[in-house]
Amino acid sequence: MPLRLPEPDTNVIENKKQIIYDLNKISSNIIHTDDEIRPYETDGLSVYRQKPIAVILPETTEEVSQILRYCHENKIKVVPRGAGTGLSGGSIPLADCILLGMGKFNKILETDFDNRCVVAQPCVTNLAITESVQHKNYYYAPDPSSQLACSIGGNVAENSGGVHSLKYGTTTNNLMGAEIVLMDGTVLKIGGKHLDSEGYDLLGLITGSEGLLGVVTEVTVRILKKPESVRAVLIGFDTIEDSGNCVADIIAKGIVPAGMEIMDKPLIIATDNYAKAGYPRDVEALLIVELDGTSSEVDTLIDKVLDIAKMNKASYNRASNSDAERLRFWKGRKAAFTACGVLAPDYICMDGSIPRNKLADVLGHINKLSKKYKLNVANCFHAGDGNLHPLIMFDSNNPAEMKKAEDFGADILKYCVKVGGVLSGEHGIGVEKRELMCEMFNDNDIQQQLNIKNAFDKNNLLNPGKVFPILHRCAEGGRMHIHKGKDKFPNLPRF
Amino acid sequence: MSGFYSAKSEQEVSDFIFENFNKSSPLEIVGYNSKKIGRIIQSSQTLSLGSMSGILEYFPEELYIKVLPGTSIEEIESELRKKNQFLGFEPNDLGYIYSGKSNPGSIGGVVSCNLSGPGRYKNGALRDHVLGFKAVNGSGAKIKSGGTVVKNVTGYDLSKVISGSYGTLCAVTEINLKVSPIPEHEETFLINNIDYIQALEIFQIALDSSLEISGACFFPHDNVSFLTLNDVKKDTSALGLRIQGPKTSVIERIQSLKKIFKDKSVIILDVYQTSIFWREVKNLEGYANTDDSICKISLPITNMRNFIKYFENVKYKYFLDWGGNVAWCSLSNQQDLDQMRIFCLKHDGHLTVLRADDNFRKSEEFLTYSNSSLRILSKKLKESFDPKGILNPNKMYSGI
Repeated sequence: MPLRLPEPDTNVIENKKQIIYDLNKISSNIIHTDDEIRPYETDGLSVYRQKPIAVILPETTEEVSQILRYCHENKIKVVPRGAGTGLSGGSIPLADCILLGMGKFNKILETDFDNRCVVAQPCVTNLAITESVQHKNYYYAPDPSSQLACSIGGNVAENSGGVHSLKYGTTTNNLMGAEIVLMDGTVLKIGGKHLDSEGYDLLGLITGSEGLLGVVTEVTVRILKKPESVRAVLIGFDTIEDSGNCVADIIAKGIVPAGMEIMDKPLIIATDNYAKAGYPRDVEALLIVELDGTSSEVDTLIDKVLDIAKMNKASYNRASNSDAERLRFWKGRKAAFTACGVLAPDYICMDGSIPRNKLADVLGHINKLSKKYKLNVANCFHAGDGNLHPLIMFDSNNPAEMKKAEDFGADILKYCVKVGGVLSGEHGIGVEKRELMCEMFNDNDIQQQLNIKNAFDKNNLLNPGKVFPILHRCAEGGRMHIHKGKDKFPNLPRF
Repeated sequence: MSGFYSAKSEQEVSDFIFENFNKSSPLEIVGYNSKKIGRIIQSSQTLSLGSMSGILEYFPEELYIKVLPGTSIEEIESELRKKNQFLGFEPNDLGYIYSGKSNPGSIGGVVSCNLSGPGRYKNGALRDHVLGFKAVNGSGAKIKSGGTVVKNVTGYDLSKVISGSYGTLCAVTEINLKVSPIPEHEETFLINNIDYIQALEIFQIALDSSLEISGACFFPHDNVSFLTLNDVKKDTSALGLRIQGPKTSVIERIQSLKKIFKDKSVIILDVYQTSIFWREVKNLEGYANTDDSICKISLPITNMRNFIKYFENVKYKYFLDWGGNVAWCSLSNQQDLDQMRIFCLKHDGHLTVLRADDNFRKSEEFLTYSNSSLRILSKKLKESFDPKGILNPNKMYSGI
């Protein structure tokens, strides 16, 4: 499947040898033969592939700074990459780019319990941060499902969340400081071990900027004490509406659970087949509610949640009585993606966020689209924070089916925006959803964001072709409405 | 020609800024204009957003409220209370330090300062509670970012950038805020007669437990007299730990604290007293009747002890909040303030002036950059919103 990226700069491609020679003087960790760079030609959005001119793997901030300065001065595009697990194609290379692999930045630099933070290099995995502090009963709260493999630097780029975002926030709410390198080689320290970094909130701006504004070379993240008690409850419903109403009532009653997840029937069956989680198979929707805090608080809240479930016509409920049982409740949900992999050769996972009260409406619409496109879909939903993950199943050997799956996904996201939601909750826009930005933002909104990009990277060299629509495709694909022949983004750089 | 323009709509804001953009004429953006925070602005035009008031949407079960910038904090809090909810960042009422009495101001003004109350270290800062906004930038263009959902990676997160930007990037015309349920019950565990070294140790022990302390402050013996509760002694230091949640859990956790700190002199403040005590902490009410400069010192907890020790012979008042991450200070000597600022910059922190006299506002910095690269980037960021530098120029930093 061809992916439209900015037109390659033929000068850069022709100068490949000289560029590699020059970069080799900065860092000897540079690879460029076809076989060597093959692992870097894609990321978690593996339907798209593109080889860069070379992959460089720096080991120090100084090297990153020199590489970026060299590329800035010679107008060479750079695509940064962490663990390569991103699902929106944010680190897919360009044909004329240097891929900046941060894999060697893989050390935890400091665990500081007095200031309740960890200082780490960007390619430390999310889970490794928790592992480094769990002996003292601390943990790092954001827990994306890829936490075993995804890097903390990538988490900053995508503002990753997880199932506990409602109570504990996403990466942006847990990041205290960062060292970043700008495209011109400037090294900046933002924030630190104190609260509220001073001046403009550059830390907040960098988080979720998908590697377009700077390269993260160090992070300081806050760690939390593990709660005394954690329990989960499984609740089954005969309709999706009832499960959605139950979630709304739980929140309206002043309860903020650590996590709330809903799965629809296709996913309940698929995950239970796969993980043997013991889910009820005769319900249309399954809600998992996890509560944490002190023991008496959790016990009180579990009773309240079960009462609320009863009022919302729950047909099944079961509260965990041990940690092993709680983990079994999660086992199916956490295997959702793998379980769908068994059902079909391929699937794409969408990532819209919606107001919680629109869940039944949006799921109803997804079912209609499923019939229209004749593709199966299963849905899981971070109900606590409104983040929906429809898994659209297809066969990539059939190009027409892949196109249908993409259109199906785009229609879902458009509907999410229509009901007051957003295009991406935690996966980012990347290349996957960039053309849909027009659905949510008008030209002024996009222009303001491009002005910010220009302030950080005036030549648009750092990770270009991501997040913002590429005009040709937008117009040609018919996804952007051109009114009376007027360009919607007159100041957008044309590629 | 000088003028005061009170906009009634986003379109009027856009038209007014566009007109001034064309004339390259600087303008001061105000809410109720009740607090002279930041540096003095040389401008002949004032744009007031104070009349753009009202709650546009409030969905308690969706945990958000959408408001116009001139909506008063009282109106928002009163509406939220009806549904047993509140603003989780606990907005500071700076009326006390500016006019000696309550005057919490407008939500637009509060967002522009990004100040947060006692729960900051647990619940996040104001900027963590802004989900989305609409605004007009310095060239008069209407812009928006974010939404009403907590999880959102759709373009740059500009909600963070406008929070604490002192109106130097854009005039905010609509704000979506995350709201939180009011805890069912709260009590305060008050320890008397300790010094700051013990206080910082107690913070560490308490916050290192799983007791979910949602407020941790310390008043030294010479800065405690303003606290109004009869149960709080006026001649000795006081350290407060706030416990919130279901009543049975709060009582249990208070018992746990009693066991941990069994050798200390302790008083338990009930739910009514707790509300008053933390209001006085949040609003810096102890600094209500002073002409001193008021500052926020933000440092890593481990550097706070050195800060207090370093300045123990300097004449100033302070109290600690956020479990020792912040010191709210009052002092009159400019040189002492400069020294404190230098200390903070050297020790991974910063000093922000919250209130100062007009002489200070004319010539001194309210905030400081730790290095020139940050200053250069901040200037570029400002220009990306406000290319001609007409929105609150110099208010946040001289030259920006």
